[in-house]
Formats: sequence, structure tokens, C-alpha cells
Amino acid sequence: MIWSISWKNVWRNKKRSLVVIVAVTLGIISGVLLVGIMEGWVKQRLNDAIYNEVSHIQIHNKEYIKNEEIDLTVRNLDEITRSIDSLNELSGWVKRTKIIAMANTPWANTGVTIYGVDAEKEKLVTEIYKEIVPNGGKYLENQSPGDILISDKTAELLKLKQYIVTESMIKGLRSQKVPETVLTKLEILKETRFRSPKDFREALRIEYSKKELDRYGLLIIDKALDYRIRNKVQITISDKEGTPIQGIFRVCGIYKTTNTGFDQATVFLNAGELANLYGGNDILTHEIAVLLNNIDDVDNVKEKLSRISVNNSVMTWKELAPDAAMMNDFMIMYYFIFIGIIMLALAFGIINTMLMAILERTKELGMLMAIGMNRKRIFKMIMLETIFLTIVGAVVGMVLGWAITEVLGKTGIHFTGWGEGFEAIGFAARVYPVITADFFVFITIMVIATAIISSIWPARKALKLNPVEALRTE
Amino acid sequence: MKVLELKNVNKIYNSSEVKVHAVNDVTLDFVEAEFAAIVGPSGSGKTTLLNLIGGLDMPTSGEIIIGGTNLSKLKPSQLIDFRLNNIGFVFQSYNLIPVLTAKENVEFIMTLQKWPEKERDERTLELLRAVGLGDRINSRPTKLSGGQQQRVAVARALASKPKFILADEPTANLDSKAATTLLEIMEKLNHESKITFIFSTHDPRVVKMAHRVITLEDGIVISDDIRELPA
Repeated sequence: MIWSISWKNVWRNKKRSLVVIVAVTLGIISGVLLVGIMEGWVKQRLNDAIYNEVSHIQIHNKEYIKNEEIDLTVRNLDEITRSIDSLNELSGWVKRTKIIAMANTPWANTGVTIYGVDAEKEKLVTEIYKEIVPNGGKYLENQSPGDILISDKTAELLKLKQYIVTESMIKGLRSQKVPETVLTKLEILKETRFRSPKDFREALRIEYSKKELDRYGLLIIDKALDYRIRNKVQITISDKEGTPIQGIFRVCGIYKTTNTGFDQATVFLNAGELANLYGGNDILTHEIAVLLNNIDDVDNVKEKLSRISVNNSVMTWKELAPDAAMMNDFMIMYYFIFIGIIMLALAFGIINTMLMAILERTKELGMLMAIGMNRKRIFKMIMLETIFLTIVGAVVGMVLGWAITEVLGKTGIHFTGWGEGFEAIGFAARVYPVITADFFVFITIMVIATAIISSIWPARKALKLNPVEALRTE
Repeated sequence: MKVLELKNVNKIYNSSEVKVHAVNDVTLDFVEAEFAAIVGPSGSGKTTLLNLIGGLDMPTSGEIIIGGTNLSKLKPSQLIDFRLNNIGFVFQSYNLIPVLTAKENVEFIMTLQKWPEKERDERTLELLRAVGLGDRINSRPTKLSGGQQQRVAVARALASKPKFILADEPTANLDSKAATTLLEIMEKLNHESKITFIFSTHDPRVVKMAHRVITLEDGIVISDDIRELPA
């Protein structure tokens, strides 16, 4: 019956209880969304780090880790090649040549790391082939000599990316129902080349109002983007003696991952063609990248690979992408911090409401004590009342938070203004919030703990009442 | 059979300026099935005496013995359990739990005593019928008149099968008709259940119906008039 009284007590002063319930609901929704966004980012970063950048495990010559020199190739390669296929945990593995180079176009140059790969086999371990941008050509093919795959960022640095207003582009915008007043203003910019999105945006800002830019700006920028596919890029590397060697390649495609840092430094060539450039008899292998079926096997496989890769360094994704690993490991701490702050703020509201409830019911509590309700039961009644008050808001908050996260998990949230900044540190500008069942277990425990802690003060206040004095109150 | 003994009970309140002797050397015995009224002017110590008898307050000196148990010897937690199982309370302003129905208010005390559900239900209905509220068992206090609420309070006080019931000015907030009905019901229950009723009151109707009238003045018992011995 104490449970029933506590539940009914919650609804005695509906307005006051609803204020707390709404506050808890909003707090939980924000907590769920905040953690959902964090979790979405961490998951995306982890996924991108593994499937685009470092795979699960990499093997290098120990010295290559310190000095990325052309002759520091993986040792005992034949033995590793023979043994590695027998490991059942592997989803795929590839050999790569990795050389630091200078890339030039007639308009600009930049330092890059060339990955000499077997384009088809590379698909077993990386998903770069899925990251080719719209109108950005195609992925590297084994049978296309002289091709180079560069990133959107490298294209920008080498001035192979431009924004240009053309007649066909205006036509495209017209078909997407962009008003003529907006299209007319584009005529002024026609056939002018802009080498960076920033320059193009500045030009648009002069012509258009803020309202027009907010509505059509992104669409215009998107449509005006043009890559100089098949343009020549000169690659300069040093051979084993340090003599510079040049080769000319043509851009076959443009890729874009969520990590601008990786994109800026990474271009892909067919390993055979890179070997032709440095004049070796064999394709050099500086890196073996391994992808597993299950990420949890990583330490176990590392140990096995270490045994067959003597004198080499075997590193897991946690060592290769420590930022992603750290975020993943510390996620539970983020939960505590975010939800802890929200719960702390809510606790004060709950305590205040419960203290008011106790004050209002002084006489009734005096009566309960007089007729024989002991301290333990009074404490339990007030604690349950606080828990019910909090739980109602929490359940509503969790359901709404989950529903909102589910919707946003499909549509994503685009942080338009901060996109470039996020991508510079490896986070996507569009985040897809994710919430796991674990989090709901965690938040339920936190809510109950908050309610119990918040009930202590009001309950103690009730227990301190003297029944005779309490019964005298009006 | 004695249900309650007061031996030289004193209650003195010491404030910084004055010393108030609220109950002064009171010695009284109550036996089973008494229907006793404690009367006296305001400030005579009636409520203080009732609080002492009910174990809600402790005497400065003297002994209060209920069914052989000296209240002064009990720890605070034991005293609460003792009240639950031995004393029924009826308050001037009814003091029902507003979120519970009449039935729930009555059975609440039995829930605290951990009665089995079936027996609890039977006794609740029996008591509510006895106080004339068999048709209002599912009404909340706000839907009942003052007299009806006080009758629920009487049923609640009886529910735990106490040794005696203490009623502090039970008719003070009731109109004449409701007060008379309540008193008749209480007298009937006293007669049937043999449970002792002790009232503090100003109400001449209560005094008229009481079998014993104890008069207090300045905390001292100035008369103890036993009109009728319990049957």
C-alpha cells in the first residue's frame, strides 16, 4: 500500500509535479540527444579510421615506423605471405608500397604520401572505392595505366577543384525549381573560375541576400563544383640513392572521407606503376594492412601475427589511430559527465519539489507517525514518491529521446557552419546519432540513483518531525 | 482488567522564562470497556495528558503502563510499533489520508500490521458498515462530510484492535447532528467491542454520554466521577 500511496501522492499537486516531470523529460531528451550525437561521431570516426585509414592491424618494418625510407620494407615477407592466409579471423589483407612524394600541377604543389596498391585487392580492406565524390571520376583500376586517385582536399590544394557557373549548371538548378530571380543573379558570375569554396561563397554573398543564401547557397555551391578529371599531376619521389625521379599521372577520380588530414596526405597509384617509377625489380612492400571479421579478435590476431612477423612491428588500430581508440574507450566517461551534469541540475528541482510536498503534508506525516508508521516506512514512502516523480519524466524523456534519435539517425544532423572544422579533425559534418541499449540501462540506473539521492534530504526532514508538533500545524 | 495505569505522572515544560506544569502528579487507572471523558477548560492539560497516554510525548516523571508495558522503558522505534498495535487515535480534524478511499484509509493501519489481505478486507468492510458507511467505501475523504470523515477515522482507530482509543476533541468540528450520530456509534462500538474510549472534550453532549468524567484544572485531576461501571 505504501507504493500506492506514494504513487497517488505524486499526483496530489498535479501542476507542481508536472513542472518537475517536464524538466526531467527535457533533461533526459537533451542527454539522449547529446550522447547520441557523441556516440554517432565516435562510431563514425572509429568506422572511418578502420575502414578508410588504418584497418584493424598493420605490419611494418620496425625501422620504417621511425623513418619512412624507401628501402625499409617489411621483413620476412614470403613467410608472412605464406602464413597469413591460414588465419581464419581475417576478412582480407593487402600489401602496399608507401612513399612520400611531391605532387605538382601547373598551378600548385603539395606533399603527399603515395600508396602503391593493387586496386582490386584494396577493396578487401578499405572502403575508399565507396568514397568517390559525385562527378568525381572513378576509382583506380588495375588496367588503366597512368591513373592516380586523389582526394577532394588534394584536388583543392593542387587547384584541380573549381567552382564555375555554366549554362548547364543553371539549367540543372532551374529543373530543381530555383526561382528565376536567383538564377538571373548567377549570370554575373558565369564562366568565372573560383579555386576554393570560400572564394565562391564570398562572390555569392555579394550578389545574394542572406535569406537567398540560406535557402539556395548550398545547392548552388554543390552544382557549381567541377573537378578537373584527367588533368595531369606530376609526382616526384626519391629513389634509394636519394635521386629525385618524376612521373606524370592523370587524375582518374576524386575521393573524400570524413578526415581531411588523411585525405590531404593520401593519393593512390597502382603498385606496379609506382615500381616502374622508382625503377625497382620488385614491388616494394612497406605496409601490410589486415582487416578482421570481428574487431574483438584484434589482440589475439596481433599475437599470432607477431609470431610470424619477427623483426617487424605489428600494430593494432588502437595504436595506429589513438584518437579514435581513446574516444571509444572513454565513451562511458562521457556518459557520466553529460548525464551527471544534467542529473545534478535536475536533482535540485526534485529536492525543492519534495521539500515543498513535505512542508505541505507536515500534519499528515505527524498523524502517520502517531498511528504507528515507523521511520523506515516513512522514508520508503518519500523515497518511492521521489523515484516515481523522476521515473515518469525519465521514461517519457527516454521514449521521446529515442524516437528523435531514431529519426535523426536516418536523416543525420548537418553542422553546416562547422563542417570544415569537424572534417579537419576526422569528424563528419553530418552526424548520425546512435543510441545503444546499454545507454538506456545506464541512464535508468542514473535516474534511479538521482531520485534516491534527491529523496534523502526531504525524507530526513520528514523523519525529524515531532508528531505532537506536526499534528498541531494547520 | 486494567488496560492503562498512570502513576504520579508529571509533565513540565521549561521555557527560558517560565516553567509550565502542564500535568501535575496525575494518577489514574482505566479498565477494559470504559467510555471516559477528560474535561476541563482550555489550557488545563487535557491534550498534553492524552499525548502522554498515547506515547506521543514522554512524562517528566512518573510512569505510564499500558497492558503491563512501561512506556518510558521503550526505545523510540519500539514506541512507534507499540502505538501501532495497542492504541487507536481519533483526531479533532479527522486526519485521513486524502489520496486514499475510505476503505483504504481503514485498511492502511492493518497493512502496517501485516494482516492477510482477506482478513483485512473483511474487517474493513465490517467496520465501515458498523460506522454506517458501508455504501461509501470507495469515496475519498474530500467526497465525505465532516461527520462521515470522523466516522472513517473511528473505524480506522478500531481496525488495529487496540487496547484503547484516544479521541482528542472528536466532535469539536462537527455540527450537532453529526456529533450525536458519531457519539452514538462510538458508544455502540465501545459496548460491542469492549474497547476503552478516552476522550478529551469540551462538548457537553460527550460529557453527558460518558460513563466516567475526569476533570482537569491546571494539570491536576480535581474530580474523577465514575457514573456507570463498564458492563
